[in-house]
Amino acid sequence: MISFLVLMSIVVCFSAILALALNFQWGLGGMVNFGLAGFYTLGAYACALLILKGGANTFFATLGAMAVVAIACALTALVTLRVTEEDYFAIVTLGVGEVLRLVSLNEDWLTKGALGLTGIPRPLSDVIPSDVYVYFLLGLSIALLLATLWVLNVLARSPFGRIVRALREDDVVAATLGKNVLWARVRIFAIGGAFIGLAGSLHAFYYQYIDPTQFSNIVIAYAFMAVIAGGRGAHAGAILGAAVVMVLLEGSRFLKDVIPWLDSDRLAAIRIIIIGVGLILLLVFRPQGFLREHRLQVDLATATMRRS
Amino acid sequence: MSTLLSTLGLHAGYGAGDILKGIDLALEEGRILTLIGPNGSGKSTLVKTLAGLLEARQGDVVFAGERVNGWSPPRRVKGGLAYVPQEYNVFRNLTVLENLRISHEFMGGGTGDLLPPDLAELFPDLPKRYGALAGNLSGGQRQMLALACALTVRPKVLMLDEISAGLSPLLSNAIFKTVKSINARGVTVLMVEQNAIEALGISDTCLVLAGGRVRFCAPAGEVLGRGDLHSLYLGDAREMA
Amino acid sequence: MLQTAFNGVVSGVIMTLPALAVTLLFGVLKFPNFAIGAMMTCAAYLVFALNAQLGWPLSVSTALIALAFGGVCILIDQVTFKPLRGRGAITLMVASLGLGFILENVARFGYGNTARSFAIELARPFRFLDIRMNREQMITLAISAAAMLAMWFLLTRTPVGRAMRAVADNPQLALVRGIEAERIIRWTWFITGMLLAVGGVLIGMDRALEPPMGSNYLVSVFGAAILGGLGSPLGAGIGALLIGVASELSTLVMPPNYRIGIPLAAIALVLVFRPQGLFGQPYIRK
Repeated sequence: MISFLVLMSIVVCFSAILALALNFQWGLGGMVNFGLAGFYTLGAYACALLILKGGANTFFATLGAMAVVAIACALTALVTLRVTEEDYFAIVTLGVGEVLRLVSLNEDWLTKGALGLTGIPRPLSDVIPSDVYVYFLLGLSIALLLATLWVLNVLARSPFGRIVRALREDDVVAATLGKNVLWARVRIFAIGGAFIGLAGSLHAFYYQYIDPTQFSNIVIAYAFMAVIAGGRGAHAGAILGAAVVMVLLEGSRFLKDVIPWLDSDRLAAIRIIIIGVGLILLLVFRPQGFLREHRLQVDLATATMRRS
Repeated sequence: MSTLLSTLGLHAGYGAGDILKGIDLALEEGRILTLIGPNGSGKSTLVKTLAGLLEARQGDVVFAGERVNGWSPPRRVKGGLAYVPQEYNVFRNLTVLENLRISHEFMGGGTGDLLPPDLAELFPDLPKRYGALAGNLSGGQRQMLALACALTVRPKVLMLDEISAGLSPLLSNAIFKTVKSINARGVTVLMVEQNAIEALGISDTCLVLAGGRVRFCAPAGEVLGRGDLHSLYLGDAREMA
Repeated sequence: MLQTAFNGVVSGVIMTLPALAVTLLFGVLKFPNFAIGAMMTCAAYLVFALNAQLGWPLSVSTALIALAFGGVCILIDQVTFKPLRGRGAITLMVASLGLGFILENVARFGYGNTARSFAIELARPFRFLDIRMNREQMITLAISAAAMLAMWFLLTRTPVGRAMRAVADNPQLALVRGIEAERIIRWTWFITGMLLAVGGVLIGMDRALEPPMGSNYLVSVFGAAILGGLGSPLGAGIGALLIGVASELSTLVMPPNYRIGIPLAAIALVLVFRPQGLFGQPYIRK
């Protein structure tokens, strides 16, 4: 039981890092990343490949993965050169995510396709004795989570963060700042991307085996739910949200024992349905909404005007 | 002379505070009432509330003898309370003809002429432009179209939010003449105007709004005669408090 | 090469109905709806139930389910999007994402992951001008053309269609011109539901019927709608054809699995150089 909790906690940690990254890109930067699963995949594979094919150690592989995802995000954000509407950007991220997913699935020569990559070593696994290793990994994960929290918080409170918040709220301000706007957006998305890479690396270390199916859309749903449940860009909230969501949903794996006639495919389907329903319920019943959204000028149904 | 449209103690706003702080207004049948006041006084907000686009937080809106606070904008318009917004008052990606058709269909028109004949003759230029996209019209033509759309089914009350905004003095003049003719054909009019002098020239009653309250209400001629009209437009802060 | 182009036209035509659905929904509801892929999947499975399991002819099954699915979509909207009316585009997009998960996995729950096909009689393909065409492709072309024609008629010649365009143009003005927004939204969902149902069947005829079937088309369909200009029905049709043909032609030079790069590139190019797309509304939406 203890070891199960320890393992669960490690998963919560890197899921929380993922949620924090999403929170940073979306909450602070107003750039929602619907391609999260794809970038997460990229991070995990980059880390694994750097170790397995590049011979790097886990530390540098992680840094490498962070850089790779950061660059990918930066390039994606360049699209906002002309178009800043959040919905168009979301579609672009969805598309990029899809392409990344397809690469992991199809580029056999690089990623071994559906077979996945095995034998991913864990950090310092040859140094730390194996019977206490899980605790080390847990400690490392928590440390990295706290580091992520600290870095993102510092950035959010910095002058850079204030500018970004202003840009997000007010298009006119954004317009007057011109080129700086694009640069700020690219940076935000890239920084968030770096932490997605970190989460992906930890994922690779934890499971020691990665294949494309691990990064299905559930990942996005988890992260979104965590961020929405946590609410209002509050970083601590995102972490708490990640923990709650993870526990609830991973815990539902036990349903299989309780309801034996459900085969694993069906069970997986039910879990995702629950996630979907949960996501919608969260959106409906969190009256503050998520951050100060740009509301539509007219509520079509009740015909009341709201200031955007 | 009955009161077609009135409000009692009307409060409304967008965010935290109220913009309208207790408005009493009465519009009599057959008249033209013009609302004037400095920027931010709540003129547009008042008209939007009357049209149903903004919810009244307190007070009553009474139209043709009924309390219409809960009525949606489509319901109000079908009941005869027409509104021409200040901006974006035509469907720019639809043609002139389609604009008129939609108004006619959905304001309760059924089959028959797009505009009542006596009103149609006030817009002789429109049929020439039926095929044009409304967004391609000039400012003056667009305002005329917006006006015509509100009249496709003869309304009881027509509310105009700065119908002359952005128009040259010549066009402004023409529009006010048209509004006067519309009124002469039996439509009661409520106008919000910055162009006070011209507007008052065709009006019966004037209501001055400042700081979300009615400052005074008097026959238009009387207000025109006062010399201190300009003090309101210079934004006399003491008056507005 | 001509064969590839023809295949491209067919695959583009398959996308016209969902692209049109995307554009209509975007115009009236003001957000990109990511659930349309899964909606097509579900509708296709419903048709499968009538066609392969109950043995009814495909045409009858499709027609019935299309009508029913229009109603289903109205219900879905009442439960999912109506409570979120007026909230920002992102909230609605995330909700649509969640809805997509739900619908795709309802299909998976019901029918598992194995691929299925409709019960249609085998027919020999024929040749025309050295291009091989099969019966399914011809049916697809015919049905899509008929559907587009019907849509054109609806949007330009009927009050409901005009009202949909009006609401897409300016929702607030539509209200004060007597258009009941909710009624138009219901109509939009009904029509969209029919388009998605037929679209799903066409996809199911072209490829196998499996849970991720519709979602796989999401990026391509959105690419088509954006290329054509979100909000423009004509654009949706043309955009779909262009994306379809370009995607197929790209297989001549690129590995086929990366077809999806084409719509993505199209989206990126459009957003950078001409955000309103080819036929997008020349006047900014409010």
